[in-house]
Parts: sequence; structure tokens; C-alpha cells
Amino acid sequence: MLFTSDSKVIIQGIKEPLGAVYAPLMRDYGTQVVAGVSPGHAGESLDGIPIFDMVEQALATVAADVSVIFVPPYEVLDAALEAIAAGIRQLILITEGVPPLDIVHLLRKAEATETLVVGPSCPGVIVPGKILLGTHPAALYRPGAVGVVSRSGSLTYEVAHELTQAGLGQSLVVSIGGDRIPGSSFQQWLQILEEDDGTEVIVLVGEIGGDSEEAAAQYIAEQIDKPVIAYIAGQTTPKGQAIGHAGAIIAARMAGMGADVGTAESKLKAFKQAKILVATSPWQIPELVHQVLQAQQAQQA
Amino acid sequence: MDLLEYQAKELFHQMGIPVLPSQRIAHPRDLKGLKISYPVVLKSQVRTGGRGKAGGIKFVENTIDAVAAAQAIFHLPIMGCYPEVLLAEAKYNPDREFYLAIMLDSSTRRPLMLGSRQGGVDVESKLEHMQQVVVDQEFSSFYARRLALKMGLEGELIQSVSLVLEKMYNLFIQQDLDLIEINPLAVSTTGELMALDGRIVADDAALGRRSNIAAFIATIPDTALSNLTGTEKGKLISDLKRVQLEGNIGVLCNGAGLMMATLDLIQNAKGKTASYVDIGGEYRHNCPPETLQERLQQGLDLILADKAVKAVLVNVLGSVISCRQVAEGMTFYLRNRKNTPPIVVRLVGDRIEQAAELLAKSKIPMTDSLEDAIAKTVILAQV
Repeated sequence: MLFTSDSKVIIQGIKEPLGAVYAPLMRDYGTQVVAGVSPGHAGESLDGIPIFDMVEQALATVAADVSVIFVPPYEVLDAALEAIAAGIRQLILITEGVPPLDIVHLLRKAEATETLVVGPSCPGVIVPGKILLGTHPAALYRPGAVGVVSRSGSLTYEVAHELTQAGLGQSLVVSIGGDRIPGSSFQQWLQILEEDDGTEVIVLVGEIGGDSEEAAAQYIAEQIDKPVIAYIAGQTTPKGQAIGHAGAIIAARMAGMGADVGTAESKLKAFKQAKILVATSPWQIPELVHQVLQAQQAQQA
Repeated sequence: MDLLEYQAKELFHQMGIPVLPSQRIAHPRDLKGLKISYPVVLKSQVRTGGRGKAGGIKFVENTIDAVAAAQAIFHLPIMGCYPEVLLAEAKYNPDREFYLAIMLDSSTRRPLMLGSRQGGVDVESKLEHMQQVVVDQEFSSFYARRLALKMGLEGELIQSVSLVLEKMYNLFIQQDLDLIEINPLAVSTTGELMALDGRIVADDAALGRRSNIAAFIATIPDTALSNLTGTEKGKLISDLKRVQLEGNIGVLCNGAGLMMATLDLIQNAKGKTASYVDIGGEYRHNCPPETLQERLQQGLDLILADKAVKAVLVNVLGSVISCRQVAEGMTFYLRNRKNTPPIVVRLVGDRIEQAAELLAKSKIPMTDSLEDAIAKTVILAQV
């Protein structure tokens, strides 16, 4: 698995309002937070986490695999490039409001260096019982065999909560963020969960807008053998009245281009074609997960 | 955010993309001082498409006709919007009309250049002619030439159209745009190019570092705030917004995805949402969890100001702030308020029992089940 309890983690922007709150929470969950970075604060520490001015200085003292980035939106690109230059290959971008062209710029560099980028504008990743890389409310999660990949933030917590309540723990939960240009795609995470031995079934939480669910449905049909359950938020949202997320809004604007990509109908159709069960409510997700797991056991027996 | 046509053309002009001489008209009488020679075209400056078909574009030959036409356009709503200004522009007779655009493509996660030799008002019905090139690496002019060739251009047009595309790309990057479109790009019989109409969508997230774009947008009346009364506007310390629908339930959630899901579930349970406020912001770097209380109270202010609301659902999930603190905030907020509609609170997480106790004292129903919360709210709204 990509992230384990052995992963060493640094926090860029540890002195920022969110970084200061979540760094200790991550550490308390068992994550090995080895250093924080905040320019001008070298020599200080936060809850016992040593702080450095730059990533490369931190790495001269401690080894690290992952950076969780909490810096202000217009500084995220620079912080991410700094981490890549210092040799870190797993980046979690929490900050909301990063201009999408900054992510395009980052992705060209990330792809050339095989760096995994999660976010921006997301709660990051949690491997329940092992490691928290971001802001997921850990109390709602339990270790188990359901992998969750989502475009939402708090809706991801909702889904994890419903699974936990139904006795279904999670192997890994990732939110890729609701921005139009996410650092990693549904497909990348579907592949990671497909290859993960601890994951038996995958839950994909999507929403209207953009074409990432349609692309994911096609990918699942072609590449994923594990059972996948989908849920789509925004099915009753009136057309053109997208809520909050930039992806949903631009899709409505681009609707002038003709295709109905981005609508709930288009996404449901794509999942149906790929023979993927779609839950009608968050609380129906555990029912469908049980259903596919039982079907699988029956098949194996 | 969409810019108006004249704003887009100002940016085109600054970048060296050819545009016609034009003049902004704020009042029909301004046409008496028109510096462009007739015939001219008068265009309604609204942010919605379909202006031409709606009658928002008129060709005029003299001042008398122009004043009458301008009066008509100022009084013509297009998709509910009236123009604040018109654009008067020299009339141009194109030989052909092309389509060019650059947008962010979420599936390749790269800028995408689009081009068609069949531009103009019917471009959407001629999508089979649309060609595209993904700018996968750092931009260089060859990407533009690649698109020009795919469009089937020959001779001098390859270079001249590529040059326009390159300038569009520069604007796209320099101004942090989501979309830049020229439709039509007129081609004269001599091969001269002219951007007859243009559309620019600026990226909202980048406005803080693009002061010229922000200044353009500041001149456009904000439709999002126009449905609030003056006193409510004054209270908006943060950027929370109430979105108005046509039912009787008010909804407050933290996060867009959770909001969409909650609205779906209300509708599936035969409830009707009157208005909703997303008090999210959990990933805003300068918005630490302790601001949740404040956001919640501002959100309630906005929802309770909607007189159509007969019941309120508060669905807040996953904050570092404990359920007890949320409950404290709610009871404190409601203490001095009279005649508020019933509020159903759905909370999950830390210190939930204490929260339930506190809320019970104030007779506010609380549940940790979303299904229950939806059902309760829908019933309360029906009473």
C-alpha cells in the first residue's frame, strides 16, 4: 500500500491556521509527522514537531515520503515544487482556492517526476487505524476492506460514517477534491485500490459537473475487476444551478458546447453501461456493498 | 466569472488580437457623439449567450435609427438580464467565420485549444467540424500550428491564425482564465482576421492576483447578492451566500457535495427546499475550525431571513469542533430569537450525547441519522 504507518510526513505551512490545528491531530492519530516547514520559523516547534524554513533543510535532518501542504492558495504551487525539488514524491494539497492553471503547471512537473498529487481543496487521505494525511474526522472511520474515492469533502465523511455504522470498515479513503483540475484522477485511485490487497470493494462518490465520473465508469468497465459501488450527488440540482464547486459551475457554462456531459443523467447512464450499481442515498451504500460482497462469496463458494 | 464583450475586447486589443473600432454606450444620447462612422452594429452587453437571436444585436445606418435601436436594446431583457451598456462597433463584412477557443479540460487536466472553420452563431450545431489540440507540455507556437493544420487551413492563414491562437494562449495564462473564445473570428477576402465577438471567463480563484480582471468584474452588478435586502448585505462579513429556490425548507450544510446530496434526499422524500446556505470552508487556509460557530450563525441569519422557510435542516459534519460546541452555539444563537421556524439538527461525532442534552433543553430535535433528519424536517415543513 502507498501510505502505511511507516510513512514519514512533513507539514508545509505548519504555522498557518489550518496547519497548526491539523498537524497535532495527524500526529495523535499515529501518523509519523517528522517535521514542519514555515519560512521564518526555523528552530521553533509545534507540539514537539520541529519546524524548518525550507523542505530541503528539514530533509537534511529527517527522512520524509509525504508532504501535506496547508499554505495559502497562491503559494501552493511553489510549496509543491519545493517539495518535489527536495525529493518528495507524494503530495497532499489541502488548501482551497488554488488557481487551476497552477495545478496544470504542477502536474507537468509531477508527471515528469512520477509524483502523486492529492487535492487541492480536499481533506486528503486516511488509512483508518494507520495514517491520517489531512483533515478527515478520524472518529467516523474504522479499519476494514472498503476503499473510498470521492470528489467531495464532508460528503466523504458522510459515506465513511454510513459504512462504519453498518459495520463496514475502510481500507483507504481519499478525496481528490472538487476542483476542475484535480491533482489526481478517479482512474489513478481506482487503479491503486484495485492493486491494494486490503481492498475488497470500491465506493466511488461523485457529483454532477465535469466528465470525471463518465471517464471513471469507462475505466472501471475496462480495467477494474473488484466490485465498484457509485453514488452521485446533485441529481436533483436544476440545470445551470451548480452548487459551490468550480467543476459543476463551468460544466453548466460549457453546456453551450452541445453535449450533456456533466449532468446526472449522463453520469447515471455511464455507470449503467459499465454495469456499476449506483446507490440512491448515502445510507444505501452499505446495503449495496454487502450485496456485492455476498454475491462475490457465493461465486467463490 | 464571465466578462462582458467589451471587456474581453479590451484585453484582446491589449494583447494585439485585432478588434474593430468600438465605443461604449451608456445611454442612447451618447450615440450623438459617436466617433465610428456608419453603418454600425449595436450590441447588448449582457453575460448570457443567444443575444443575436433574442434581438440584442442591431445594425443601424444613421443616428436616428441608432438612438431608436439603442432604446429598444436597453429595454430588452436577455435571459432576465438588462444591459447596463451597449457596444457600438463598426460593421464588418466577413468572407468566412472561424471559431477559436482555449479552455481548461478536466479530463486531460491541461489547456485545450479548439478550432473550427465553421464558426458563427450556429457553431454548436456544427461540432463535427471542431478540432482540438491538448497543450500537454509547456506551450510553444507549434501547438497553435498543429490546431491550424487540423482545422484544414492552408497558406498564410496557417501562420496568421496560429498567431491569434498564441496571443489567446498568452492571455489565458497571464490572466488566469477558464475560457477564452473568439466566435466568430472573421476572415476577409484578403485574409485579414478580425475578432468580431469574444468571450472570456476569468477564474474565480485567481481574482485575488488579477486586479485588472477583478476591476472589470466589479463594474458588473452582482446578481448573487441582488436577492438580498440592504440590511442583510451589511451583515455579510464572510462570503456566505443564500441560494433561493421555491419550497419551504431551509438547509444549512458544510460543503458543496454534502449540500447537493442533502438537497437530493429532501426532494426524494417529497420535501421542497426554499433556500440553502453552504457554510463550508473547511479547506480555506485562513478559516480554522473555530470559525464554524460564526459561519453557522451567519448561515442561520441568512436562512431565517427567508420568510418562505417553514422548517430548517442543519447538517454539519466532520468538523474538529465538537457536537457539544455546535449545540452551544445553536442554543446561544436562538436564545433571544422569537418565532423561529422549527430547526432539525443533524450532528455526528465527538460529544454527541452532551449536544443532544443541550438541544433538548431548547426543544431543538437532534439526530445523528441523516435519514431521520430528512424525514423529520420534511414532516415539520408540512405542518
